[in-house]
This record gives sequence, structure tokens and C-alpha cells, in this order.
Amino acid sequence: MISDATLVEAARRGDMRAFERLYRLHSGRVMGLCLRMARRRDVAEDCVQQTFIRAWRNLAAFEGRSAFGTWLHRIAVNEVLTYARNHGTRTEANDADIDVDAAVDVARDGSGDVDAGEVMDVERALAGLPEGARNVMVLQAIYGYSHEEVADMLGIAVGTCKAQLHRGRHLLRERMGLQELES
Amino acid sequence: MNSRRDPLDVALEALPREVAPTRDLWAGIEAEIAGPSPVVRRPSSALWMRLAAGVVLVIASSLTTYVITRQIVQENVLQAQRATEMHQPVVPAMPASFAQQALGAEYLQARAALDAEFQRQVATLPPVTRAKLERNLADLRRAASEISATLAEHPSHPLLQELLLSTYQSELALLGSVTDMNVPVLTSSPSETRL
Repeated sequence: MISDATLVEAARRGDMRAFERLYRLHSGRVMGLCLRMARRRDVAEDCVQQTFIRAWRNLAAFEGRSAFGTWLHRIAVNEVLTYARNHGTRTEANDADIDVDAAVDVARDGSGDVDAGEVMDVERALAGLPEGARNVMVLQAIYGYSHEEVADMLGIAVGTCKAQLHRGRHLLRERMGLQELES
Repeated sequence: MNSRRDPLDVALEALPREVAPTRDLWAGIEAEIAGPSPVVRRPSSALWMRLAAGVVLVIASSLTTYVITRQIVQENVLQAQRATEMHQPVVPAMPASFAQQALGAEYLQARAALDAEFQRQVATLPPVTRAKLERNLADLRRAASEISATLAEHPSHPLLQELLLSTYQSELALLGSVTDMNVPVLTSSPSETRL
């Protein structure tokens, strides 16, 4: 299998087929991230498209210090935040406009190894979180980024990131009827 | 082992990381990025754009400075010419060297009075202050002398005339600061010297 580094190098030289290959490899994860953050499929798809367009245009700036997927996620987060800023979806008051089916779509796309109903419940609970807590939960609890990486991606302080994670976990437990595990 | 794990973590781990878009987004991406490879060529074209912008900025700045300076010089020349024409009966011509005697009798009298008072007052000051004042006064007079000499070679140079006038005014201000006497106001026209 061709590595990301090789494909990126070829894409840098203008090889669009190599870049398409990168798109095929990474678009699913980028879409998952965008959909959970934006909570609307149409917005998420636009953000995915813009993410790859921006990535192509900025390939020269990719230094390979992080994984290509991580770099894409950074761009994607920025796209979603920019969209939210421009369209006023950052406010909690707009939660009524959320495409609730998006959570169901995410669950439906999941593998069949786990209980689909359970996954759907988690996705719904996640989609219902306040924006700040949801974004941190998505990046950290689902995609495994560190506090520092999440803080950097979202443009917030590490302390804020930790607080939002705590809040998000607390709310998720509450909404899913889960007990806090004693440490 | 698994039973001890936080059920929330277990639930979150079960979530799919990948979600397929409902439509093929590649077509739109390809349409947008098709064309010359932006990746390799962009830095150099960006560099050229920055260089070109820099050159344009320098030229525009120089041109603006040139135009403004030229206008000021032309206005000063016109003013000097008008002043010369207006006061020709009183002062034969704009003083070639803008010498002190051409500044008018009133000015010279006031300056002499100020100077005398200055010498008297400064003698009462502490040595350090006195030395400082005298040094400043000497500097101003040396500057006036040098400008006057240069003006003798370029008698119609308006900027030199302004400079000399300003130096004389500074000298008077210095004298006045010590003596508490009224300082005459110098204008570009010697006959307009006011007390």
C-alpha cells in the first residue's frame, strides 16, 4: 500500500490522481468529524469539499511534522468553525435548526459490530451537547486528540478544553443515564 | 476487565470514526483544483508578487515625496519672490546672505538688548547652567553663520532662508528664556519683524 507521504509528495508535483487517492483514504474520517461538529449533513459535505480544496492549495505548507490525516482534520475544524461563525450557528439558540437525522446517519454508517441502537443513542446525546463541549468531546473522546491539540485546533485555552471535556462527559452521562465510575 | 471500564468510554469507542458522504465530493473538488499545479509554483509566484508589490510601493512613495517636495519648494519660491517684490522699496532685495543687518534695525536693536540682558542674567546662574546656555547659544550662532555662508552661494534658496530664519528665532527664544524680555517675532520678510 502506498503511504500518505508518497502520495503527498506526488500530489505536490501536481499529480491529481495521487491527491484523489488521498481523498478516498481520508474523506470518511474528515466527514465523520465535520458531521459531528456541524450536525448537518449538507454543511458537513461542503466543509469536507472545502477542506480538500484548501489542502490541495496548501500542500506546500504541509511539512509532514504531523500525520497527513491530522493536518486535514485541522483544516476541517477550521472550515466548520468558519462556517458556524459566518452563518451564526455557534449560538445555542440555533440548536432547534440542527438536522437531528445527522446523528442517525452517523450511526447508520457505523460498522455492524456494535449495537446500532446503542450507537444511535450516543450520537443523539452527543449531538445535543452545547457546541463548546461537543467539539471538545468529538475531537478528544472520539478522534483521540490531546488537550493541547484540541485547544490548538479550536483556538481555546488548554484549561478551557479540560473544562469543556468534563462538562461534556457529565452531560453525556446524564443524558444517557450512565453512572459515573468511581476512581 | 471490560466490566471495570467506564461505560461512557465504551460507548464512545463504539462510535464509527468514518462516515461516507452521501454524494461523491471528488468531482467538485477536482473541478475546483483542476489547472496548473498550485503547489510547486505558488511560492515562487507569491515571491514575485511580493517583490513586485514592494517595488510598486517604493516607486509610489518616492513619486509622492517628489511631488509634495516640489510643490512646497515652488510655493516657497513664489512666496519669496512675492515678498521680494512687495518690499523692494524698503529692502533692496532679498538679502543675498540673509545677513543680520538685513533683518531690520528693530530686530537688531531688540536682539542687542536681549543679548545684553542675557549676559547679565546668565552671570548670576550656576556655572553648569551657564556653561550649558552659552554652549547652546554658541551652537545656534555657529549654525546661523554656516547657513548664512551657504545662502550667500545660493541666495534664492527658499529652504535655506527658512532654516536661517528659524535659527535666528531659536537664538532669540534662548535669549528670551533667560531674560524674561519680549522676543521679537521674525517673519520671512525682514521689514515685518515685530517686537
